[in-house]
Amino acid sequence: MMRATLTLTHRELVRFFRQPHRVIGSLAQPLLIWAFLGGGFTASFRAPGMEQLSYAEYFYPGVLLMLMLFSGIFSTITLIEDRNQGLLQGVLVAPVARMAIVLGKVAGGVAISLVQAVPLLLAAPLLGIPLGWAEAGWIVWGFFLSCVGFTALGFLIAWNMESTAGFHAVMSVFLMPLWMLSGALFPLENSPAWLWGLMIVNPVTHALTLIRTPLYHPPLEFLASRDYWLAMTITIVWAVGTLMLALWRVNQVERGAPPEG
Amino acid sequence: MTPPPPLAAVAIRQLIHRYPGARRTPPRTALHGIDLCIAPGTFFVLTGPNGSGKSTLFRILCGMARPSAGQIAIFGHDLLADPCTARREMGVVFQRPALDRHLTVLENLRIHANLHHVPPPLFRQRLERLIAWSDLTDRLDERVATLSGGLARQTELVKVLLHEPRLLLLDEPTVGLDPGGRIAFLETLQRLQHDQGVTILMTSHLFAEAERADQVAILRQGRLLAMDAPARLTERMGREILVVQGEALEELAHAFGQRPGVEVSLQANELRIRGGDLLEWIRELLTGHRQEIRSLAIKQPTLEDVYVQLTGRALQADEESS
Repeated sequence: MMRATLTLTHRELVRFFRQPHRVIGSLAQPLLIWAFLGGGFTASFRAPGMEQLSYAEYFYPGVLLMLMLFSGIFSTITLIEDRNQGLLQGVLVAPVARMAIVLGKVAGGVAISLVQAVPLLLAAPLLGIPLGWAEAGWIVWGFFLSCVGFTALGFLIAWNMESTAGFHAVMSVFLMPLWMLSGALFPLENSPAWLWGLMIVNPVTHALTLIRTPLYHPPLEFLASRDYWLAMTITIVWAVGTLMLALWRVNQVERGAPPEG
Repeated sequence: MTPPPPLAAVAIRQLIHRYPGARRTPPRTALHGIDLCIAPGTFFVLTGPNGSGKSTLFRILCGMARPSAGQIAIFGHDLLADPCTARREMGVVFQRPALDRHLTVLENLRIHANLHHVPPPLFRQRLERLIAWSDLTDRLDERVATLSGGLARQTELVKVLLHEPRLLLLDEPTVGLDPGGRIAFLETLQRLQHDQGVTILMTSHLFAEAERADQVAILRQGRLLAMDAPARLTERMGREILVVQGEALEELAHAFGQRPGVEVSLQANELRIRGGDLLEWIRELLTGHRQEIRSLAIKQPTLEDVYVQLTGRALQADEESS
């Protein structure tokens, strides 16, 4: 089981680095959005209690989260290619537990995201945010949880899909809004009530808290905060929940209906 | 019910598969109680037209779908109760090669070995042996996307042999190959069967491919029409067939059909006559019916003729029963 999972994870990584457009696509898009929105909104962004913050700095954790979203999505889109190319059938008939297929894909997605996101943490000091090893460690933990959540969610959506076009549609109407309503683009505090309600039940909002908090507070301080632990619990429930659903989904085998008479 | 013989490579008893209907499609029975027993070391071809149920049977055999009812044993292992053990005995080749196009031949082979629990030293040893009979020796480090269809098929075959399965399941494996590639692939399968005693179960809609097999099963509408050695099936057809091609052959078909010991079948513009003195029939056709006839030929019966005859009979039986 372990060997099968590692084999499939390794395959994801090799495939990723062998397709330069994928590396560029999932890294460049968040960076461009960061540069454009950060540059454009900085003059008009005046969030209450965050007056000293430039928009580029406010948006920074959101960009990191977007990177998680994109690499999670791109990793699971390959599931549709695997199915259409016939490769998935070969894995399905191997004498391995189907759990290995989910774990291999998710671990591959997480590894790819971390490889891209961790170097981006180096930008923090450039924005004037001093970052110690302990803080960085907690941020990477936030990356890990949110990426498991995104990849498992993507897996769940992609499992039975036959075309990548269908996946893109779901991405625009469901996955992107999850990120937009997470506090990545604008703070919860001064949003209208209906939007605030949507944002507070969105697990991605809480995943963002795990990434944003260690940027401004030392671990001893935020580990004592109830809000941080609440965010942590919700994010873990989201990540583990989607992972369990994906496992349940792959174990559904096509069954014949009861015979007539 | 007696248990299936434990030594059979594949033992299928009373297999029924019914597709559950959806809102606009009613349920459909794809397999109506199939019984099949394949001895180890046999080259077995499952043939039949599109929609006959062979793909459904294949999907069930490789564990992609669970049947509505029935039993399947692979070398005595119950496929439905303990799929993992039964799957270790099989190598499965699908219509589309199950290969990652972005990875090299060697990387694909290594993934398969890992998924089938082949330890690395054994992998290298088997790879050397298997690669020797293929044309892949110099291509191991090339990406699969750059290989021809024939070489991709060879990669697929080497891949599924890495875990030394005793049973090879192949679903229309020659689709997309040119005639040369098709013959070479079938010869490789026969060599595997003879040299290593591998049991081969292959589906094919090409009756010509089935002629090479030890045993052929002909499937139609989810039922086994016939199962035997190809030679014995064609023997059942009797001697040669007179094939008459032309226009408006209905009257001729009727006239010959009345004669004792003569069987006729008419499909499109082709009339097939079996039985009686064929040379005499030719003389008669040439003298009395020259205008209607475009060509005349005497041919040995093939599996296709067996199929045409069997489906003709099945159609007749269907009509009578309704």
